[in-house]
Amino acid sequence: MNRVHVTKTILWMLVGLSTAVALTRYMFGLGATTNLTDATPWGLWIGFDVMAGVALASGGFVITAIVYIMRQERFRPIVRPAVLTAFLGYVAVILSLLVDLGLPWNIWHMMIYWNPHSPLFEIGWCVMLYTSVLLLEFSPVPLESTSRWARVRSVLMKLRFPLVLLGIMLSTLHQSSLGSLVLIMPFKLHPLWYSALLPILFFISAVALGLVMVSFEGLATSWLYRRKPETDLVARLCKAAAWVLGLYLVVRLGTISAAGQWALILDGSWESFLFVFELLVMAVIPMILFAIGRVRRAVSGQWIGCSLVVLGMVLNRINTGGLTMIGATGDFYFPSWMEFAVTAGILSFMALVFLSAVEHFHIWSEQPHEREADPHASPEFSRSGEVWLGSPPVAARTRYSFAFVMALAVGVALMPGERIRSSGVSQVSAQAARGGDTLFIDGNRDGFGVAFDHPRHVSANGDKASCVLCHHMNAPLDKQSGCTTCHRRMYQMADAFQHDWHASPKGASIACVICHEEGVYRTAGSALPCDACHRDLVPPGVTIEVKSYRAPSYVDAMHDLCVSCHRRKTLELTDRPDHAQCRTCHETPLPDYLQPDMADLLRRPGYNHVVLPAVVKGSN
Amino acid sequence: MESLLEFARGPLFRLTFAIMLLGLARVFILDIWGLVEAYNRAGDKSIPWRLTLTRTLEWIFPVKRMLNHRPFYSLSAFLFHVGLILVPVFLFAHIQLWQAALGVGWSALPRNWADLLTLSTIIFGLAIWAGRIGSRRARAISRKQDYLWPLMLIVPFVSGYLCVNTSLSPAVYQTLMLTHILSAEIIFVLLPFTKIAHCVLMPLSQLIMTIAWKFPARVDEDVATTLGKKGAPV
Repeated sequence: MNRVHVTKTILWMLVGLSTAVALTRYMFGLGATTNLTDATPWGLWIGFDVMAGVALASGGFVITAIVYIMRQERFRPIVRPAVLTAFLGYVAVILSLLVDLGLPWNIWHMMIYWNPHSPLFEIGWCVMLYTSVLLLEFSPVPLESTSRWARVRSVLMKLRFPLVLLGIMLSTLHQSSLGSLVLIMPFKLHPLWYSALLPILFFISAVALGLVMVSFEGLATSWLYRRKPETDLVARLCKAAAWVLGLYLVVRLGTISAAGQWALILDGSWESFLFVFELLVMAVIPMILFAIGRVRRAVSGQWIGCSLVVLGMVLNRINTGGLTMIGATGDFYFPSWMEFAVTAGILSFMALVFLSAVEHFHIWSEQPHEREADPHASPEFSRSGEVWLGSPPVAARTRYSFAFVMALAVGVALMPGERIRSSGVSQVSAQAARGGDTLFIDGNRDGFGVAFDHPRHVSANGDKASCVLCHHMNAPLDKQSGCTTCHRRMYQMADAFQHDWHASPKGASIACVICHEEGVYRTAGSALPCDACHRDLVPPGVTIEVKSYRAPSYVDAMHDLCVSCHRRKTLELTDRPDHAQCRTCHETPLPDYLQPDMADLLRRPGYNHVVLPAVVKGSN
Repeated sequence: MESLLEFARGPLFRLTFAIMLLGLARVFILDIWGLVEAYNRAGDKSIPWRLTLTRTLEWIFPVKRMLNHRPFYSLSAFLFHVGLILVPVFLFAHIQLWQAALGVGWSALPRNWADLLTLSTIIFGLAIWAGRIGSRRARAISRKQDYLWPLMLIVPFVSGYLCVNTSLSPAVYQTLMLTHILSAEIIFVLLPFTKIAHCVLMPLSQLIMTIAWKFPARVDEDVATTLGKKGAPV
């Protein structure tokens, strides 16, 4: 089995799947693809892709500092892969941001409309500049292979030292500013993660992660291409990482001591367990492993230690970027599969670019010989030997395009139709009003409702004759059906007719030709009207005209009916000027007989106010 | 049955239709890519564009070639393609489904035309199948998929025609509808990976033929080197 081929095939499949999700996101919006809400606006794409992504790309500035500033020449072989990874990492961050931003086409705004008080402004500028710097730092490598750009290359080589300096400065600025970003949320972020020293903690951990990430990448690619791992260099990096992790632990635990929050670590909440787990995985265990010379010089020890640090650091960024805010907001969030797919797809795409660069350019001291990148390699045949697959590059693009296309098609098939149609508003079925004479209308049963005095409306509008003012449709064999019979959904249109139910053997089992005339196209227009069979569908004397079999949402139906009538009445009842205002209905007291059962509701903050769907649940 | 129908009309349709569209786009792009590479390698870069275009059009609208050889078979094949392409795209009921799903519609075939073309597709499909098994010379150059395709392609036409034109009980109707949808979906999936991909590759075939005869520059020396006869007289 060729590891490179299998890996690339899987990566192309992930890219295909995420392309389908990205299309869904851009066509139908964040509500159709993510589990984000107003209370949790930062999810996986910020916590992992941006916060952890920037940290994971810190290898670039750490290694260039070691080689060019500290003059540690023995690390020179890993400068090129480190800079390339950093560049690709930042491109991935920018791509993720473009997916996550609600109005991604406004991303250029920060360049023109300055807000120097905002850490995000600084981060935005730094990321933009640093990505450009990384591109300039790396571009001499691909330019090597052609003599046409020799002059450009020599200019870039002369600029390398200032570029490295600029890169280190920009990294120092924004790696720490990602921590400053959450300084504004002392009441939202859990105290075990919140600290005034967050910028410094972020910077120190980024340095440690940079050292480890370069090692991790070397280990992974040497496994992939079956080349000799740079064990000696990695061991040196791990030793340095142990010191930085130690410093990180001292500062982190120091801030907790200074704030007097040791008790929180032992209070048994899920956050306390998460804190201990995070600290063990990201710093304590790897630091001990790397401190033991025998472990850090063994490939397996390097694998375990580096994986732990990478996992732990990612967890730390996710925790700081939103997970530990759940306690304050009370809004549970778990990413949807589509959020995971986009994240995996962007990372996979960057990995593919990396592998391709490694195969085509002189990134490592020893360039791997990959037949797929060699147009002069002898052609491939299928396993049976009967089918000519072409030269290896041709066979490769045939194989990978197939993987990409099939995964993209699967992604299209998995597009969540319900979520797309609901455009992000949760599907809530409307419940009938409760009570006796005075009805409590609370379709979504969230406790915020309207007390509706039914007898008073009947008597004020002409007793028996008043029924048809509101009740305009009957279910078969019913008289004055309730509103929720047709207006079944709280916030969306509902199908009041149900075509497929009428035609199904388990439903009404009516053959097509009962309603659709033969010989003409079968459409809603050419079919018999409903009242051809349902004779008592429309009560006599009704003034509300039903034009479509799509019943408006319960909310819309109620508002339409009540507000339009109240508006008319306002003109007649000159002594009631506020007759058609929101609070006329929404701030009515709960009927007396419901009060003992619903006493809890009355004590809720903001009780009886108008509530929109998908707001903060609970209170801080 | 309803849930199966719902699944076939929803996710399964999206999957298979996407495989068809993307798969066709893929083979088209791969072909163009190969063409460009072959052209860049070619020693002789002159291409008779006008002749290639004329030949391509002649093969897409084979009026001239129809009556040269096996005229009945050629005519059947041509008429089979007319209904095969027009009916699925311009059937009123299909356009309604697109309208409901994507909000885009286009003008439809009149009902009696659609019926007529459906019947003609079924009849000419059977005719070209018979033409293939009936001729020894045709059998000699046929693969398994060549026998299978005409029959497979008319299944959705037969089931669709029955659904529209007969008064059936809902249970029978749903079975036929499911047959209609699933057979079409099998066709969608197989289409880009079998000979039916000629629906998009056909316009390239004459160009590929032309460029295929352009040998790489100095290929003769390479051949001589490979054969160990470098410098020997040809």
